[in-house]
Order: sequence, then structure tokens, then C-alpha cells
Amino acid sequence: MIFAQVLATEFLKLRRSKVTWLSLTVLSFGPLGIALFMWIVKEPGRAAQLGLLGTKANLSGLSATWPAYFSMLTLVVGIGGMLMLSFIIAYVFGREYADGTAKNLLAMPVGRQWFVLAKFVVAAVWWLALVLAVVAEALAIGGVLALPGFSAGLALGGARDALLAAGVAYLLAPVVAWITTLGRGYLPPLGFALAMLALGNVFAKTGWALWFPWSIVPLSIGMVGQPVQTLPLGSYVVVAFTFLAGIVATILQTRYADNTQ
Amino acid sequence: MSAIATHEISKRYGDLVAVDGLDLDVRRGEIYAFLGRNGAGKTTTIRMLLGLIRPSGGHVEVLGQRVRPGATDVFARVGYLVETATAYPNLTVRENLDIQRRLTGAPRAAVAEAIELMRLDAQADRRAGVLSLGYKQRLALARALLHRPELLILDEPANGLDPAGIVEVRELLQSLTSEYGVTVFMSSHILAEVAHLADRIGIVDEGHLLEELDREELHARERGHVRVGASEPQRAAALLTEAGFAHVELADGHLRVFDAAERVPEIARVLVGAGIALTELAPAHEDLESYFLRLTAGVQ
Repeated sequence: MIFAQVLATEFLKLRRSKVTWLSLTVLSFGPLGIALFMWIVKEPGRAAQLGLLGTKANLSGLSATWPAYFSMLTLVVGIGGMLMLSFIIAYVFGREYADGTAKNLLAMPVGRQWFVLAKFVVAAVWWLALVLAVVAEALAIGGVLALPGFSAGLALGGARDALLAAGVAYLLAPVVAWITTLGRGYLPPLGFALAMLALGNVFAKTGWALWFPWSIVPLSIGMVGQPVQTLPLGSYVVVAFTFLAGIVATILQTRYADNTQ
Repeated sequence: MSAIATHEISKRYGDLVAVDGLDLDVRRGEIYAFLGRNGAGKTTTIRMLLGLIRPSGGHVEVLGQRVRPGATDVFARVGYLVETATAYPNLTVRENLDIQRRLTGAPRAAVAEAIELMRLDAQADRRAGVLSLGYKQRLALARALLHRPELLILDEPANGLDPAGIVEVRELLQSLTSEYGVTVFMSSHILAEVAHLADRIGIVDEGHLLEELDREELHARERGHVRVGASEPQRAAALLTEAGFAHVELADGHLRVFDAAERVPEIARVLVGAGIALTELAPAHEDLESYFLRLTAGVQ
């Protein structure tokens, strides 16, 4: 019962927030970017006339079809989502410190863990709504492009893959939340997320990729588009541990750390 | 049972001792004012009372319950305002209060009542982010009062309010105490205001409680004293006490003889008769502000 009330307050806090619309605007550029590539591949002559990267896009081996379009959408939602989710988490948790309202929540007849869990739910719902909106946008743009090979089954499969990739990206969100509560603001989590993405890229080029969460998650997202690849069980254990440890660390930080705001 | 009891609480940040072995006992139904200069340890103490920070030593009991991580039930009976008044800037006054209502389990009508109580009607549907400092303070006070707490812990409640607002808050706190038995623990810099309002005053400096005064002691100070400069102050103090002057203090090399405005000639007779030279003998009074400044300057 009390969790329902806390959850209601957390959703109320998003009212009139410009950040929700900003996040939608930023992510909606994803399908537009993919559509541009599709159009370049589909109409290389016209694209070259307009001075666009026709030759390069052709060389990348893309085909202007619905399956290729959905495959790219999955990657954009998954990999781009890792960064977008860091922004969402930084906002949902960090605003309490930026607005100075964290202290107003900490001496309440409500266990502090409920605030943490409610914020994770809000971030997940926000993220889900964004992904659904972007999938709908992608379907509309794909329709306008008149890409070949459309079927209802393919569209459902594409939407499923995008949601699955979005879910995989969410596994790293709790650690970002912990960094937010530790650093008490927006900048530490954003700096952390960027650093981890860069490190993940570095590790991806070494033998450690299967053991570093920020390398494993992009690999998993890639696997959603290409299910033939596999990861060892240890990689799943590392990501599961990162997810759970992030939640536990955020709760402990909120419960025990001094708030001197 | 005490509303607030601290037992030897201290808070250290590395080498810095913010609060050092503080014992407080705030009785139910009283207004207790907590005074101190900037950095004296007031806000740190208030944060420890609310469990926002954990004491390095000692412990706190609020309304009979020990404050510790996870013990949240007691806060259904506590309203508070710590340092600056803050609210969600994108939400209206009403929405901000609705968050408090939901979290404290107060009835729906509580929001409208709090808005009316703090005279926020005209601002109720404005976003908190555009409110003036005074209205933000009113919103924070409305938040603290909304669920009708038994204990109010207020850090500088008059902060940002205009003179009329200060009087309004004073009257509100007095009525909450007298009509509903609410206990108020407040810090303040407005000493004249505190002198009007408080049943007891605790003066803190460098994390220590320097002195506690109740209303009668405070008024006795305001009633006045006789300031005496004497060649042998220690002996003079002893002689005056022996002669029946009940309240004699020695400070800054001078004596302060309280409740003695009508007995100045007697003071002169006692001291001169004992061979003590007088350098000053003058009626004076000391308000809370002068007392506070003298007391806190003495420990620097």
C-alpha cells in the first residue's frame, strides 16, 4: 500500500518535466538516422546528387529492407539506450539532490528502500514508453520509405527485439543510480556512464570483453539482432550480479549515508 | 516522557567536531529554542534528531523512540523543516503538498487545510519554482504541518518571511502549542522573536550546550540587574550572596546582581563597609541578544 503511494508521488514528480520530452526528442532521432541510411542505400543516385554519403553507406553492406531496418533499430535502442538510460536514472535520482528535496524524503514514515525501488520503476516505465514511442515512429517512417519485405509478424518480431535490447540495456541502470546517490547530483552519473561506455569499448577489443559488464551488455544487445552468437554463462552471472549489486548498493547508500544537504 | 532526548550525541567530520557530547531534553508541549552562531552545531543537531545524519557517538530518542536507520514509524508524528525551504520546482504548491500527504498518510482534506493555514490560497496552483523566498518558506512550513504532527522540528522557521509573516508564524506556533499540545523545537537567529516565543532556550556553541534558560530566567535577565565594578570581585560576590542577594554572577571582571534594582544603596553599603572599592555601580538590563553575544563571545 505504501509502495503504491510512493510510486504515485514519483510519477507525479514527472509532471510538467521538460526532461521527459527532451529524452523523447533525442531518442526519436534514432529511427530518423536509420531511415536516412535506408534511403541512401535505396536511392544511391539521388543521395549522391544531394552530396550524402551514398558510397560509404553502400560499402557498409546494408540492404534497404525491413529486416535490416529492424536490426539497426535494435542496436540503436540498445546501445543508444545505455546512454539514454543513464540520463533518465541521473535525472530521476539526481534531481532530489539538485532540487534539495532529498532531505524532505528521509525523515518520513516510509522506508527509504521504497523510494529507491519506486524510482527504478519510474525509470523503467519512462524507458519503456520511450522505446514504444520510438518503435511506433520507426514503423511509420519505414512505411513512408516503402521498404520491401514488410509483414505483421516481422513488425512484431522487430518490436520484440527492440524491447528485449532495451531490457538488456536496463541491467546497467542500477549501478548508475548508485553513483548518483553517492555523488549527489547529475554530473557524477553522467561522467561515470560515459567513462564506462568508453571502457566497454576498450575491453571489447581485448579478451576481457566477456567479463566486463559494459562490454557484455553491448554484446548481448548485438546477440538480440544476431541470435547465433553466444556468451558464456559467466558473462550472464557478471551482468546479473552488476544489476542486483547496483540495486542493493543504492538502497544501502540511501539508508545509511549521511545527508548534509 | 520527553519529546526529544539526546544522550551524549556527537558528530565528527574527520578532525572537525561539529557536535560534542550534547544532552538535550525537550519536554512535551513546550517551545524549545535552540540558539547558536553559524557553525555552532545547530543544524547538525537537527539533522541527527531527524536521522538525516548518524551521530558519531551517543543516541537520539524522539517521542520515545530511538532514531536509527529503518525506524521510520515515529516520523508520522514529526513535521520538520531543515535549513533552506525546498520543493519540486515543476510542481504546484498543491502538488508538492499532495506528495507530503501521500507519504504521511494524511487525509485528502489536509492539503487544503495546510494551504489555508499558511495563507497560500493565491499561490496554490503556481509552480513552486516561481515562488518568492517567503512563499517557499510558507510552503515548507505547510509541508511540515500538513499531517498534524505532535512534534515540529524547525530550522530557522522565520527565514525569508516579512515582519507580518514572522508574527503570523509566531502566533501559529503558540496556538499549536497551547491548543493542540504540539511540541516545537526550533533554531533561530531572530533572538527578539525567540524571547517572545520560547518556553526554554538552549544556547549552543562549538557543539556544546553552554546554557539553558527557561522563560522565568530569561525574564529575570530582562527585568534587569545591577552592574558592579569592585576591587575584589570574588570577595564582593561572596559578601553580596551572604547579604541575601540571591542571584549574583561574576563575568568579565564585573558582578551582575539580579533582581536588585531597588537595593542599590544596600549593595554599596555592604561592599564599602567591607573595605571594597567600587569602580562602577549602575542599574542595567540584558536582553537575550546581549546575553547571547556575551555568552558566545566568552567561549571564543
